[in-house]
Amino acid sequence: MAYNKPIPPQGQHTKPFWEGTKAGKLMLPRCRDCNRVHWYPRQICPFCHSTNLEWIEGSGKGRLHTFAVQHRAFGGWAEEVPYVTAYVDLDEGDRMMTVLRGVDPTKPEEINIGARVEVEFEQANDDTFIPFWRVVQESGE
Amino acid sequence: MGAANLSNAAAIVGAAESDVIGYPEDLTGHKVTSLQHHIQAIKNVTVQTGIPISEIQGIFSAGWSGELAEHLGIKPRYLDTTSVGGCSFQIHVHHALAAIHAGIIDIALVSHGEAGWSYRGGGGGGGGGRGQISPGAEMTAAYGTFGAPSQYAHAMVRHFHQFGTSQEDFAHISVVTRDWAQLNPRAVMYGKTQSPFGGPITVQDVLDARIIAWPLTLYHCCLVSDHGGAVIVARPEVARGLRTNPVWVSGAGESMGHQNILEMEDFTATSASRSSATAYKMAGLGPQDMEMAMIYDSFTITAGITAEMLGLAPRGKGYTLWKDGHAAPGGRLPINTNGGGLSFNHSGMYGMQLLVEAYRQLSRTAEDSVNGIEGKQTQATTCVVNGTGGTLSTTGTLVLTSDDR
Repeated sequence: MAYNKPIPPQGQHTKPFWEGTKAGKLMLPRCRDCNRVHWYPRQICPFCHSTNLEWIEGSGKGRLHTFAVQHRAFGGWAEEVPYVTAYVDLDEGDRMMTVLRGVDPTKPEEINIGARVEVEFEQANDDTFIPFWRVVQESGE
Repeated sequence: MGAANLSNAAAIVGAAESDVIGYPEDLTGHKVTSLQHHIQAIKNVTVQTGIPISEIQGIFSAGWSGELAEHLGIKPRYLDTTSVGGCSFQIHVHHALAAIHAGIIDIALVSHGEAGWSYRGGGGGGGGGRGQISPGAEMTAAYGTFGAPSQYAHAMVRHFHQFGTSQEDFAHISVVTRDWAQLNPRAVMYGKTQSPFGGPITVQDVLDARIIAWPLTLYHCCLVSDHGGAVIVARPEVARGLRTNPVWVSGAGESMGHQNILEMEDFTATSASRSSATAYKMAGLGPQDMEMAMIYDSFTITAGITAEMLGLAPRGKGYTLWKDGHAAPGGRLPINTNGGGLSFNHSGMYGMQLLVEAYRQLSRTAEDSVNGIEGKQTQATTCVVNGTGGTLSTTGTLVLTSDDR
């Protein structure tokens, strides 16, 4: 079935990220001066204000920081309610948003903050693979 | 009377441009976005002057100030994003001059970035750099959130996790705020004549209401309604000659945490801790001196954590002000005496409603709303007013005091 949910337009300086997703890699921006990873991709390091930035391949692993269960949605997402949106703390540092997989949206009390999560990619069109995260180990922090 | 003399109160100390201007694609093979132009120019002017980006205290731009502050990773104490066309930047300098003269900031950044050619057209016509997406939006647009409740719910879950709180704890905020609305005939939820959902509610009603974005049920969310409001601010010489009672702006502060909630460092804390610290310090008063509070309650979670940020309750315990009855009619610290965004009125940007109600309570001259009803008026002489904008993003705090204090 064709992907029926919003597909983000790709920006000028984020090509390495989207190219990476096609190869199953989670590419992350890192500052060569202070070595910190930041997310979302910047023109400038938000920590030390260097513009000496590079892309590295991330581990694709992290922990669940927080979540919500969406019961009201529009477009393609309306067909999926309820579903779990979440923020994931990357093992490399900083945080990503996602729709969380591997959980039961009807039992939010059983979803554990701190659970281990891993990234996977779903093809949305010829140019776009969208990262989603899945709970792989239930234990909390 | 008359304008303060701002002459020579501040100077422009550096000026720079982005790396490639004109027709970047012809020169480099790449388009340049408006954001890139901004950031390059900012980097260049800070290198030129030797002023670190981290020392910028005020940020002035035509519509970009929140985005720029977030991208730079700075937390400004003065935000101005006045956008009135090509003269905006002269106006920004004027506003920066005033802010510096007033002692609010020492270093102001005025920034411009506009990919008028690279992203020309695209439905808007005539330059302006349309058809771009911010990187924050690019990296979150795929993930099925729709409007404020879908995002604020994440903050409540994190609060549950960090402080052991529950849906029921926050439900008390809805119930008490509805109690205030029962005293205000102009409140949307005053009674059944205004709305089939009007009248008193219980904690169980809040818990049983339909889920919008778990853990937020309908009654954890503010209204969507119409409103118009206005206030006039004047210097003391004017204020003393009017028929109305003045309410003094004893303290004021502002700050931001982020533009996109993706960048919210602590989902249980907003920049109201900083904006209120500034306001309290200016006023020479503290949270213990506040006799009432007007707190933006877009959602119960917003009110609960803001009460914590304003120092009115310990961390993790904001909801107890409502649960224990302190915020209720007759309590020691009345909060949201108009019935709040939850039950009085919320038009989208509720900050004006906060101001109108704070004036009514402290001025003792109100003719309608809660003040018009005998025996229901607070006797407060001090009020902390806190607005929250965006997605728990920006905050402005005022400390207001009555003339008879």
